Amino acid sequence: MSDTYERLVQLLVKNFGFDTDEVAREDTFSKLELDSLALVELTLAVQQEFKIKLTDDDLDANDTMEQAVKVIESKPVVA
Amino acid sequence: MARAAVVCGLGTHLPSRVVGNDHLARELDTSDEWIRSRTGIGQRHLADPGQATSDLAVEAGQRALKSASSGAGQDGADAVVLATTTPDHPCPATAPLVASRLGLGTVPAFDVAAVCTGFLYGLAAGAGLIATGTADSVLVVGAETYSSILDPADRSTRAIFGDGAGAVVLRAGEPDEPGALGPMVLGSDGTGSELIQVPSGGSRDPFRAENADRADPFFRMTGRQVFRNAVERMAEAVTEAAARAGWRPEGVDVLVAHQANVRIIQAVADQLGLPRERFPVHLDRVGNTSAASIPLALADAVTAGALRPGHKTALAAFGGGLTWGAVTMTWPQVAPA
Repeated sequence: MSDTYERLVQLLVKNFGFDTDEVAREDTFSKLELDSLALVELTLAVQQEFKIKLTDDDLDANDTMEQAVKVIESKPVVA
Repeated sequence: MARAAVVCGLGTHLPSRVVGNDHLARELDTSDEWIRSRTGIGQRHLADPGQATSDLAVEAGQRALKSASSGAGQDGADAVVLATTTPDHPCPATAPLVASRLGLGTVPAFDVAAVCTGFLYGLAAGAGLIATGTADSVLVVGAETYSSILDPADRSTRAIFGDGAGAVVLRAGEPDEPGALGPMVLGSDGTGSELIQVPSGGSRDPFRAENADRADPFFRMTGRQVFRNAVERMAEAVTEAAARAGWRPEGVDVLVAHQANVRIIQAVADQLGLPRERFPVHLDRVGNTSAASIPLALADAVTAGALRPGHKTALAAFGGGLTWGAVTMTWPQVAPA
């Protein structure tokens, strides 16, 4: 069982002040009220946490957390 | 041994008119909360009508020369480099006028155009003049009146940018003394030139009677892509500049980053794995002053006691072009005048 979802939640907790139980797998980023700049910040934090490279469009405001987990897990780890 | 360029004077000037977020909210669809949460900016200083970039540059230059004279006994300067996005005129450069008004006579003087990275490009140009023996001392000024190129109806740019000027004096010295600029890291990527741009008024789209109805004379910026580029390029540049200086990135005591947006500064800190407290923040009081932001933030950090002699210091910037850069130095015994 991968821990990608839990690590993603922790990034939201650390960077945007969420409580762990405020975030659900089916929540979209827009429902979580992450604006476009926040998505860029999250993209940078995800890259650092998972050692992957994301494009500007990989994390979309309309994506759910579950979809974001799939995107993250589809990326090869870079050094 | 090559001659190093050593920082020996620091001076700044802000126009007296202060415009708070609430003032902007009365004219535009925005609010203090909106601006603060997205940028960290609370107010900015704006030039009065008739006040041009050279007026601000002369004030900051005078103070930097005074700081160098009283602190290091360095009188005058052999050259003037002015970094600006907003010259007094499209032609000629503003630096010769600044040099004359400072009483520096017929010294070499030229402008550097690298938008928000301009001050670091200006430092590199000044260091080059010293390394080649062209000058023994150089006044490097970053001065901007962005209020002259902002669209009055554009809430995103008006919330961010402010006017101001800052300057340092460089003198010839030894590479291992405090204030000596380390190896500079500079870069550019013209494929992103449209991300930060004044579309009209240059040779691509000159002002003419026939395009008067569609010409865009104002500064435009695509925030989201700029944000990401700024964070990644500045973090990379600092890492490289530190490595070239023989430092580990975590050994940097104070990192003065271009004051564009507090969220960019925090993201750079996170990318580098450095505590955010090592990144002085000045933009809350002055906004983004483009080429003037680094010397203004340096002076503010010295005055606040956050930047002290002996601190391992890095400067980093990112701006239109796209351009970016970083440099290291051990902060010298220099106080703003």
